[in-house]
Amino acid sequence: MTAQTRIIADQARGKFLVPRKAFTDQRVFEQEYDAIFNRCWLYLGHASELPEPGSFLTRNVARRPVLFTRDREGTFHALLNACPHRGALVCRERHGKSPAFMCMYHGWVFGADGHLMSLPGAGGYPKGFKTDPQKQMVPVPRLERFGDFFFINFAKDGEDLATYLADAGDYLKLVSEHSASGMQVVGGTQEYAIRGNWKLLAENSFDGYHAACNHSTYLEYLQNANGALGSTPLAGVARDLKNGHALVEYSAPWGRPVANWVPLWGEEGKREIAAIYAALVQRLGDERADRIAHKNRNMVIFPNLVINDIMAITIRTFFPTAPNYMEINAWALAPREESEWLRKYRLYNFTEFLGPGGFATPDDVEAIEKCQQGYAAGGEAQYNDISKGMLREGGASFDDEEQMRAFWVEWDRRLAAVEA
Amino acid sequence: MDQQLMRRLQVEDLLYREADLLDQWRLDEWLSLFTADAHYFVPPSDVDGDTADPDKSLFYVMDDHIRMRERVIRLSKIGAHSEHPHSKVRHLVTNVRVESDGALIRSRASFIVSRAKDITHDLFVGHYLHEIVECEGALKIAKKTCVLDMEALRPHARISIIL
Repeated sequence: MTAQTRIIADQARGKFLVPRKAFTDQRVFEQEYDAIFNRCWLYLGHASELPEPGSFLTRNVARRPVLFTRDREGTFHALLNACPHRGALVCRERHGKSPAFMCMYHGWVFGADGHLMSLPGAGGYPKGFKTDPQKQMVPVPRLERFGDFFFINFAKDGEDLATYLADAGDYLKLVSEHSASGMQVVGGTQEYAIRGNWKLLAENSFDGYHAACNHSTYLEYLQNANGALGSTPLAGVARDLKNGHALVEYSAPWGRPVANWVPLWGEEGKREIAAIYAALVQRLGDERADRIAHKNRNMVIFPNLVINDIMAITIRTFFPTAPNYMEINAWALAPREESEWLRKYRLYNFTEFLGPGGFATPDDVEAIEKCQQGYAAGGEAQYNDISKGMLREGGASFDDEEQMRAFWVEWDRRLAAVEA
Repeated sequence: MDQQLMRRLQVEDLLYREADLLDQWRLDEWLSLFTADAHYFVPPSDVDGDTADPDKSLFYVMDDHIRMRERVIRLSKIGAHSEHPHSKVRHLVTNVRVESDGALIRSRASFIVSRAKDITHDLFVGHYLHEIVECEGALKIAKKTCVLDMEALRPHARISIIL
């Protein structure tokens, strides 16, 4: 990493600059795989996506094909989805239920834990071949869960997941506590891409500063939609959760299925929301219930997991395949016991703001892609300014850039470490 | 003329008119082709788009008529950055099949929608499911579902136009 790709941070003077080469440089992109994606804990999936023994799904994580399974005993496994024989993808389906997986090339069959169960023409191999460790599907080096959130790590050694998550752990727990019976990923995945650097989406996912300008049409829409807005003002704080994780936590005027009523939901809705809130208070106490129901959180778990608990809850993860291109997957998370009526509002809320067809995300995409195009200016225009709120008395506001600085400091630290 | 053929011609005429209005960004007129309780849906690519329920699965678009109107209003504004200035859009509609279910007409048609803007040019490929009713002698769309025959919305990133 050269001087031109290091951040410039000067707390005393309130100066924080990010070099634009961090978004465009091929060498930085390759270093990010070494320093970050091959060493950090990365989100794989949610327990509810593998609802029963035998369930499986396939997913690309940091450019690698991964097979995520639950075996007959219910144990979860993460396998590199490549046949030990010639390397073909073993499982070619997106999800389903199966006790075993057969490679379509030569018919080797593997169990849900990746062990080689059978192979045609076994007589052509010496005794003991089938149990040779090299002939088994390779597990991802580490798989750990935090509640129902599963993470993988491609490095054999390093801190455990709970240590890595640091203060973000309690916020993941908070999202799980929306429900007494457990949270579930709702069917249907938003799978898209952006022609921009992945770090632009990390920044954008918890940028409280851009909404008034970038999302003016969304805010106007909410005002037009009769009763979609309550009277709560936008106000809150930014928090550094350590290890590069950070969030903004704030009150907002929109409705939250758990559990902030807006007039649009009517009197019946008011009673249902009140009952949900009362149950939260009983289960978790006043303080936690209030945070769950009335506070919004946009959180980035370094490097690329976004949990936005806003007008709905989204789990979003994204990976670069080039400095100027990323692939994104986004899911909706909801309480299992949610009523049909409220689930409908949740999905209505989600699609209203979030995702490629929403009233807000397309304009985020536009901003990200236009940043990427603007970086081609190069020359003297080589730094982004991320200093907002650095010298604010009393700590950073939700619409400052403290949370992004936490991300960037960790990014810089990790890249410097592989360079050294 | 054969009644069924006549019906198909009427539906084709409606779908072509819809496509033409969208291509010309005459979105107020586009909205007038729909009933007052109409819906517009775009399911994601990992569910069965022909049968998925927007109240139970996460979609890309689940608009009721209120939100369709708001979508049209939004797209007329400078602040709809993703579509300002407007993309060049072309809707190709073909293979129109029509069946009647009592007063309800269901049509199934193939589409390719092209969107060009700045340095990007994306194609959306899929099929339309229209539910059409006759109102005061004119055909109106009560429901439009755009099922993408794609594995993911890549590299498109957005459905900022109306499919």
